[in-house]
Amino acid sequence: MTLGQIALWGLVVGFIMSLVVITGFAYTTLLERKVLARMQARYGPNRAGYIPLPGRGKQERKLLKGFMQPAADAVKLFFKEDNTPAFADKWVYNLAPMLAVIPAILVLAVIPWAGDLPWLPEQYDYFAIVPGLNVAVLFILAVTSISVYGIVLAGWASNSKYAVLGGLRASAQMISYELAMSMTIIIPVMLANSMDLGVIVDAQKGGYYVFLQPIAAIIFCIAVMAELQRAPFDLLEAEQELSSGFNVEYGGMRFGMFFMAEYMKMVSFSAIAATLFFGGYRGPFVDQVPMLGFVYMFGKIFLGLFIMIWIRATFPRLRYDQLMSFGWKKMLPLAVLNFIVLAVVMVMAEEGAFDALQQAVLGIFG
Amino acid sequence: MGNPIVFGLLAVIAIGSAVGMLTSRNAVYSALFLVLNFATIGVFYIVLNAPFIAMVQITVYAGAIMVLFLFVIMLLGAEQLRGVNSEHWFHLGLSILLAGLLIVAFFIVLVMEGSTTSAAPMIDTSPTALGLRLFEGYNLPFLVTGVLLLSATIGVVIFGFSRKRGENV
Amino acid sequence: MEATLEASPAGDSPAIVADPVVDAIDRLKEKFPEAVTDDPREGYNGLMVNASQLPAVARTLKDELGFDYLSSLTGVDQIEDGKLEAVYHTYSIEKGGGSVTLHVQVDRDNPVIPSLMPIWPGADFQEREAFDMYGIHFEGHPDLRRILTWDGFNGHPLRKDWQEPFYEDAQKPFGSRWPEGNAVHRAEENNPYGKNVQYPAGWVPTGEEYDVETDMYSILKGNDGHTVDRATHMKTDKLTVNIGPQHPSTHGVFRMVVTLDGETILDLKPVMGYLHRNHEKIGERNTFLGNIPYTDRLDYLSSMGNNHGYVLAIEDLMDLDVPERAEWIRILTVELTRICNHLWALGFLLNDLGALQTPMLYFYIERELILDFFETLSGARMMCNYMRFGGVAYDLPDDVRGQPTMAFLNELVNERLPAALDQADRLMTYNEIVRARSIGVGFLSRQDAIAYSMAGPILRASGVNYDVRRAEPYSYYDQLDFDVPVFYNGDIYDRYRVRIEEMKQSIRIIKQVLPHLEATKGAPIISGKPQYAIRMPRPGEAYGRVENPKGELGYYVTTKRRSSNPERYHVRATSFINLTALGKMCIGHKIADVVAILGSIDIVLGEVDR
Repeated sequence: MTLGQIALWGLVVGFIMSLVVITGFAYTTLLERKVLARMQARYGPNRAGYIPLPGRGKQERKLLKGFMQPAADAVKLFFKEDNTPAFADKWVYNLAPMLAVIPAILVLAVIPWAGDLPWLPEQYDYFAIVPGLNVAVLFILAVTSISVYGIVLAGWASNSKYAVLGGLRASAQMISYELAMSMTIIIPVMLANSMDLGVIVDAQKGGYYVFLQPIAAIIFCIAVMAELQRAPFDLLEAEQELSSGFNVEYGGMRFGMFFMAEYMKMVSFSAIAATLFFGGYRGPFVDQVPMLGFVYMFGKIFLGLFIMIWIRATFPRLRYDQLMSFGWKKMLPLAVLNFIVLAVVMVMAEEGAFDALQQAVLGIFG
Repeated sequence: MGNPIVFGLLAVIAIGSAVGMLTSRNAVYSALFLVLNFATIGVFYIVLNAPFIAMVQITVYAGAIMVLFLFVIMLLGAEQLRGVNSEHWFHLGLSILLAGLLIVAFFIVLVMEGSTTSAAPMIDTSPTALGLRLFEGYNLPFLVTGVLLLSATIGVVIFGFSRKRGENV
Repeated sequence: MEATLEASPAGDSPAIVADPVVDAIDRLKEKFPEAVTDDPREGYNGLMVNASQLPAVARTLKDELGFDYLSSLTGVDQIEDGKLEAVYHTYSIEKGGGSVTLHVQVDRDNPVIPSLMPIWPGADFQEREAFDMYGIHFEGHPDLRRILTWDGFNGHPLRKDWQEPFYEDAQKPFGSRWPEGNAVHRAEENNPYGKNVQYPAGWVPTGEEYDVETDMYSILKGNDGHTVDRATHMKTDKLTVNIGPQHPSTHGVFRMVVTLDGETILDLKPVMGYLHRNHEKIGERNTFLGNIPYTDRLDYLSSMGNNHGYVLAIEDLMDLDVPERAEWIRILTVELTRICNHLWALGFLLNDLGALQTPMLYFYIERELILDFFETLSGARMMCNYMRFGGVAYDLPDDVRGQPTMAFLNELVNERLPAALDQADRLMTYNEIVRARSIGVGFLSRQDAIAYSMAGPILRASGVNYDVRRAEPYSYYDQLDFDVPVFYNGDIYDRYRVRIEEMKQSIRIIKQVLPHLEATKGAPIISGKPQYAIRMPRPGEAYGRVENPKGELGYYVTTKRRSSNPERYHVRATSFINLTALGKMCIGHKIADVVAILGSIDIVLGEVDR
């Protein structure tokens, strides 16, 4: 493939996947509202749109009540007045929502969505926007690390004390938890011996890494929740204290973009967690029918989203200092220890330290 | 060195953001220009066929260090820089002098080496190759750097603890 | 963490041995023969104290005689004598029983009374309120500013000679505005539009010459720009943040001015009065009966309890007896209100801790049943307006939600509510994050809780075994078998657990009440025939207090003979007084804790601002 073909592939697939995820983001909000409502003994949105079914008797039956809610929300957000506070820093104030959304979309570039589809170009082993990137994991880290700017700058530019407090909390929190996340994101790289996400997924053929490295998987999931500022780590928009924190001065579609960034990051990080620890697009019969990869991937993303929503519905929020001490004093040491132990064990295994043990075990059972 | 048009564009952005960083009155703007500068340098690395370094550049410099910069600026509320004073002119003169020296040094090096080739040496830049090179060719420097960073970390921790104890007294 | 339920056996009133009130009054008169005399007025049973001797008398009362709890402090305008009066109700935590009431009279022209802040910090907001409403100057009060009205308010609205812009008449019922059938007079004409705002002398309403909030900001600790850290010699800036009045978790239009060092709180001042409507002035203008619905609006989550306190005070003045069935119904409704209120309080406390509404909505399921019962009983879900002098308004309905009433109540008390509380215990009480957020946060010591006049679950969470239902039993509480839950750590978590335990005790009380309701079926529910215009048979004062869900709710009413309106009507608003210690509880904690501490106090702005 020439450079031009690669670029064209990236553009076309990227465009399609972005559309899919942006629609998916809208329905993630609906999913969140519906699931939350059901967990809280409520109905959730059930007015906008339904599929009429032939009813029994006089009663009309309605299917999927409220499925047009995201569209209604979007229309509302677009038509709302989009005002800027008088003493806000205009440039940064307008820049911040974009800086929040762009990284959320960028992460999608490296995620493998399905295996070796029959119609893929020959060089590509799996379906992704940029397949075969040998620094894919680093790319994720890089993009995550710049995603904090949108929030910090929004907080600063709004010229409001609540927003600044939210922005400060955001930067401190995200930097702290990025460390634990980086220490655990390395584990699949070490196990698969590659930074290519497709290789990592293929290496989980024998068993998902969550079974091999449960501690790493759990720390990663917690760190991701903190990175996404989802409950119980949603301190920077803690409604009870900061009355939604960094985005308190935003309205209309600019607020919508923060909203969008949050939910799209939920989707993409569910996908990353699925890829790194839960076998990505792998599942039963995926080798025979590669199209199943999409199904498994979306299933796993859905599961990830559901768990996040579930946690939001059930857990109170940590306090800021508790969050920090949890991140620095518990998560990070555990992640580092896990990493060191794994490294030592892997090198020992490579050097043959466990050969005798293996033989003994084989001798007993074999 | 890739496409000269790409290079030119990147160079303009990099130099422009550097100048913007120096001239802007608002410290947050300066920090943002610096982020842009770092990101552009990351793209330079990609153009130079060094994706690993590029990603590390963005993660560490643009992602971590500059966020801390912003954090400090926002925490202290020190966005607005002070006006021009005599000290300022002294600093300006010093920096112009140093920049001139740097340019002269570059020029001399370029002339002495006579290397104006635009093609970067085509070496294997995959993470694996990079790691092997780092641990085989430059093992000792790597270790020394690691020890240095570790001691710095320990120093910070000790400093923090003693501060805390001091406060309690 | 050990909970102890201190049972005090029913009917064991400490007053039987030797009435501590009489004893204390005698000893006070002995010690201060000149300063302390019996109140000479008819129907008043307190002591008249000389203003200059008040601190000494209060000190003796608190330290030597054990009357350590300043329940209520209020002003009264005795315009006919040319006097302003301050009334103090003090109770003994240890001995229970009635109050030693102190009356202090000063001249209307120069109303200066020594502040009791050094003795009872709980006098803080109450003295400020009396200053605001009557202009009584409490000498020695460190922060004597208006509290309920705004700083530019002209005059002191509860003085009898103060008239509001659209003043019609001194008391209801007002005379007809159309005596001849034509529109001859409108209230607005008393003071036309545009002229109905009065500023005090020297006030310039541009906001530039006189900054309204300078006083408040200047009294905040650490608000001097920056301080120098001794250990590091670094200057640190302090941040002053206004939480509220528009804020999602101040439970209403309530504001806290907070000085922060980083995220740690240096000082906190509550600012209130945004919803002030001068409930007491309205109450003094209303007829006695017509005021009952107004009491609903105080703590609008527990209107039954508000009614109860008010009717107790008036029944005391009227010497009215209440039929047995009415008393049982009152206890039933009041205890259901307590459950209702605590469900709400805990739901919001957990919400303030960041548990996104789930626990709150779970609690609502049972609360809904109770409100449905109230609706069928009284016609309203929240503003019940149910109790009357000498009884209640309606008998129990035949059925509720399609079930016979007794079956409904039995199911509620025996199945639904215990299950809901068990669920709450299971899901929330031992939740790791709830415990991390609430244990040790918002600590209030036993001494402080008493000194700050805390009431209700906050008092009992600080290890004070004081419940009005036990200390000075009213209604049939002396015949009922229940415990007063007391916890000893004085933090948010203990306040949470006190409320859970109190709900369990309320269920226990209702279980004992239900058989009585069966037995008295068809009995009268109100003594005498319902009357609309009440003429007070005797002059005097009465202080009716009940253990409302949020704490002690008291109504201080004075009246003249044959009067149809109270002369003075004062509400000892629990939420208002419980806020006195908010600053003390918050200092040193993080900003996120403020919200949780406020949630643990459980305020209702209708009662705070009145």
